[in-house]
Amino acid sequence: MSEALPLGIDAALLGVEFDSSVSPPVTAQEIHEYAASLGESHPVYFAPEPVAPPTFCMKFRGNRFSPPALPRRAFARSFDAGKDIQFGAPIRAGDVIHTSNVLHEVYEKTGRSGAMVFIVSRLRMKNQRGEMVAVIDSRFLIRGEAAT
Amino acid sequence: MSVERIDIGDEIPPLEVVLSGDDVRRYAIAANMPGQRFHSDEVARKEGLPGQILPGNMSMALLSRMLNEWLPQARLEKLGVTFRGIVRPAAPIVCSGFVTDRRPHGEWVEIDCDLILEQAGERRITGVAVLRLDPPAATAPRG
Repeated sequence: MSEALPLGIDAALLGVEFDSSVSPPVTAQEIHEYAASLGESHPVYFAPEPVAPPTFCMKFRGNRFSPPALPRRAFARSFDAGKDIQFGAPIRAGDVIHTSNVLHEVYEKTGRSGAMVFIVSRLRMKNQRGEMVAVIDSRFLIRGEAAT
Repeated sequence: MSVERIDIGDEIPPLEVVLSGDDVRRYAIAANMPGQRFHSDEVARKEGLPGQILPGNMSMALLSRMLNEWLPQARLEKLGVTFRGIVRPAAPIVCSGFVTDRRPHGEWVEIDCDLILEQAGERRITGVAVLRLDPPAATAPRG
């Protein structure tokens, strides 16, 4: 057993892939529907061979957002605190998206409302040519008794 | 807008929308977000929410749309947000922002922006974005 992080999470879990996925080929219709649902108007999103809006990448989340070894109580009172996305190659119709998810960071903060623990998962996405499509860091905040 | 005219402090033209519950459901389906709190008032209330809410991803995507409408020739390099409160359909949503830095790199320029999404006069989401602007001749379709 290596060093323990907040919530007793084993530090050995950091950086270890706990989930991966491969999407079916992206269709032009999926891109059109996504862009239309946001009221986007850029013609490249609606072309017969469209480029997807940048945030289309968030559609690919893999199968789970945290390692199975994480304590269940950690997520009993958690909520989505935010995201940081680094965008790479645009997604186009026909692309196949490969995802790989790791536990990136676990850290504690104390505020007026008491102890809080942040769990950050990092989702890396590549296309079928091996080009980086996006890196998404998702922060989950656990507060109150669940964080102590 | 040309690259040369963008400067620190410039305001991004705000994006104001009022989304219906159907609009949110349509996004949730298109974005592969099956969580029923994004689809149904009833389920959302059972989860302790006041009713159907927008996925955080949809709020991020609205901020991205605002940037796209401001600078359609730019490429979004980074987008980061902090979710501070829930965002709901059937009430005005106002996305806004301003330029906080401008870094020339030879022929292209990087622009940093602070972003805000407000509803009912409250900041529900704050964020930052980095955009890349290439010279017009080199501009590829954005993604």
